[in-house]
Amino acid sequence: VISLPAPPPPRDDGDEEFWTATTEGRLLLRRCDACGTVIWYPRPICPSCHSTDTSWTDASGMGTVYSFTVVRRGVGRFATAVPYVFAYVELAEGPRVMTNVVDCDPETVYIGMPVELVFHDTGERSALYRFRPTSVGQQLP
Amino acid sequence: MAAMRHMHEYGTTSAQLAQIKVAASLHAHHNPNALLQNVVTVDEVLSSPLVSDPLHRLDCCVVTDGGGALMVVSAEVAHTLSRTCVAVLGHGEAVKGTDNGRIDLTRTGAAWSGPAAFEQAGVTPADIDYVSIYDSFTITVLETLEDLGFCDKGDGGRFVSDGTLVAPYGRLPFNTDGGGLCNNHPSNRGGMTKVIEAVRQLRGEANEAVQVPDCQIALAHGTGGSLAARMGSVTVILGQDDS
Repeated sequence: VISLPAPPPPRDDGDEEFWTATTEGRLLLRRCDACGTVIWYPRPICPSCHSTDTSWTDASGMGTVYSFTVVRRGVGRFATAVPYVFAYVELAEGPRVMTNVVDCDPETVYIGMPVELVFHDTGERSALYRFRPTSVGQQLP
Repeated sequence: MAAMRHMHEYGTTSAQLAQIKVAASLHAHHNPNALLQNVVTVDEVLSSPLVSDPLHRLDCCVVTDGGGALMVVSAEVAHTLSRTCVAVLGHGEAVKGTDNGRIDLTRTGAAWSGPAAFEQAGVTPADIDYVSIYDSFTITVLETLEDLGFCDKGDGGRFVSDGTLVAPYGRLPFNTDGGGLCNNHPSNRGGMTKVIEAVRQLRGEANEAVQVPDCQIALAHGTGGSLAARMGSVTVILGQDDS
């Protein structure tokens, strides 16, 4: 299995807590304490009810593949990583997040496939949230 | 990923998407300025290399230089000009966001820009004689045609089969210059050529082999951004200037 590059994400004011959590193996979701909506991408104001009464919660790490593609022609650092899977994963909490599905043969990925969270360290105080088939985790000791 | 999801939800096939490229190539064959002038078959599309599943190389638009310009004038000025003018009958614009992460990859902003344009123009999809549809990829055309109301959601694959899009005698001739799939796609400016070809059709100045007979009402549609996720859509309906 070819490992994907893990380039560090662009950083901005206010995202320190989010990216620090990824280095601890946690994906933070913002939840609206007024209406209960799980917010994605993370932001301080609920896009559903506009409340500023929001807080962090840990994602369960479980999800299913909403859609995906097998990239056959990559660019930059990803040019030599093909074929790899680029996907939207629907989190158990609701949001569909753009990510990669890793640790499997790209030809075996399908829409609806159960997946679980893994992190790839960027080496610069952040880790990328990616997903692998849950069956991979079940095979590990 | 939009194409993969559309296939999953509606059973759309790669062969159906290929029909869109085939129609574009039949039109580009008559355009001496088109980058790709050879007619291609469904089999040739399907046997071209996969770029990003399920899209093959021939499902993708070309990348070219290019440009265009439009003159927009008042009715008073239009009546003094020697060239035939066309009238803007209606238009619509829409921005589609990522909807708090609940993205829907099978629906584009055309689902809002289209109805707004039709309402303002006072016409329906059945009244349209010709369409220019932005075509970064074959799936872009298919989802747009559905969202504009030319067929039911999910029926795009069947709709584009059987020569529907082929000029001059298909039910809905499209992109008679060959479109982005075969003619040109100047960087992020793919929409300009869409309006220009619609004007040519209404003026009766398209390439002879693909001129739609008695073309009275045309629609041009532009798409920007990331299809069905974070994107913009714009629709304009043009007609012969009878005023």
